[in-house]
Amino acid sequence: MTALEVWLTIAGISLATLLTRASLLVTNAEVRIPPRVETALRYAPVCALAGIIVPDVLVSGGQIALAIGNLRLIATCIAVAIFLVTRSVIGTIAGGMGAFWLLRTFMGEGP
Amino acid sequence: MLPADEVTARAAAVGTHAREAFRRGVLDLLPVIPGVLAWGIVTGIAMVQAGLTLGQSLGMTLAAYAGSAQLAALPLMVAAAPVWVVALTAVVVNLRFVIYSLALRPQFRDRSRRARLALGYFTGDITFLKFAELIEKEPDFPHRVPYFAGSAACNWAGWQVGSIAGILGAGFIPPDSGLDLAGTLALVALVVPLCTRLPALAGVTVAGVVSVVARGWPLKLGLLAAIVCGIAAAMAADAFAARRRQAS
Repeated sequence: MTALEVWLTIAGISLATLLTRASLLVTNAEVRIPPRVETALRYAPVCALAGIIVPDVLVSGGQIALAIGNLRLIATCIAVAIFLVTRSVIGTIAGGMGAFWLLRTFMGEGP
Repeated sequence: MLPADEVTARAAAVGTHAREAFRRGVLDLLPVIPGVLAWGIVTGIAMVQAGLTLGQSLGMTLAAYAGSAQLAALPLMVAAAPVWVVALTAVVVNLRFVIYSLALRPQFRDRSRRARLALGYFTGDITFLKFAELIEKEPDFPHRVPYFAGSAACNWAGWQVGSIAGILGAGFIPPDSGLDLAGTLALVALVVPLCTRLPALAGVTVAGVVSVVARGWPLKLGLLAAIVCGIAAAMAADAFAARRRQAS
């Protein structure tokens, strides 16, 4: 990419941010939301986050990695366990990362 | 009419409460900040590694302010994809924010257009989730917009500090540090407590499976498919639970 193309791309992504996040908020038009859609909206964020998290943990180099060698998966399971016991967000992040780095040190890179 | 000093006193009280609500917004987001920082660092490094100059990397993080869209765009930029393909991919990755903004609309109705534009631009996943949680737990909470602004400011600051640290430190931080996992773990800690009820659990399970199956789809449409299928599953489970309640 040329420098100009890079800047154009950055402008394009910024426009995408603004359009998706703000256009419905800025308009004064009446938007009626049927109750069924309102129920659907309640579940959108948790489904979106699941759609971001799961491939991040389960996919390695384009392949599904369910084996014990997937250290990110093991560390995430440990983190979930820590969260269920302690309910602490910081503890979950720190414990999960600690587990990941320890596992990597002692088990190597894995597949 | 109220006496003038009482009007001033009430206005002052609202001001104090708004400041407190802002502060609470900041404090509620603080526990997630280590994850936000780590994710920012990883994105900062990724921008530099994709070949962006210092100025371009800073410009991207400060203007686009969209972690998942930036990370989706970088490999396309490396592959010299046309500008419109990268921009369209960013739109698809960000489509979930259209859904969020639909839910936020009634909350921001009485604000000026410029304020709504700013509130929209600074909406992040975590900010939205915390805000939805507040409204569910305390439906009568009066100073919602300052609360939202506080959590959005905290999220923005954490993200930008992390990103800039990643851009400047790209040469010093090993690329295989696995730091991005910290960002994912922060999201895990937000999602797990929401899965206590069956509909959300069904939605998360289906969205997770679909996102993995459809991971290779062009323009990141797999994420959109995951959200749509997840919502459908949650709605079905919701209807099922309601029928069971009626039957018993």
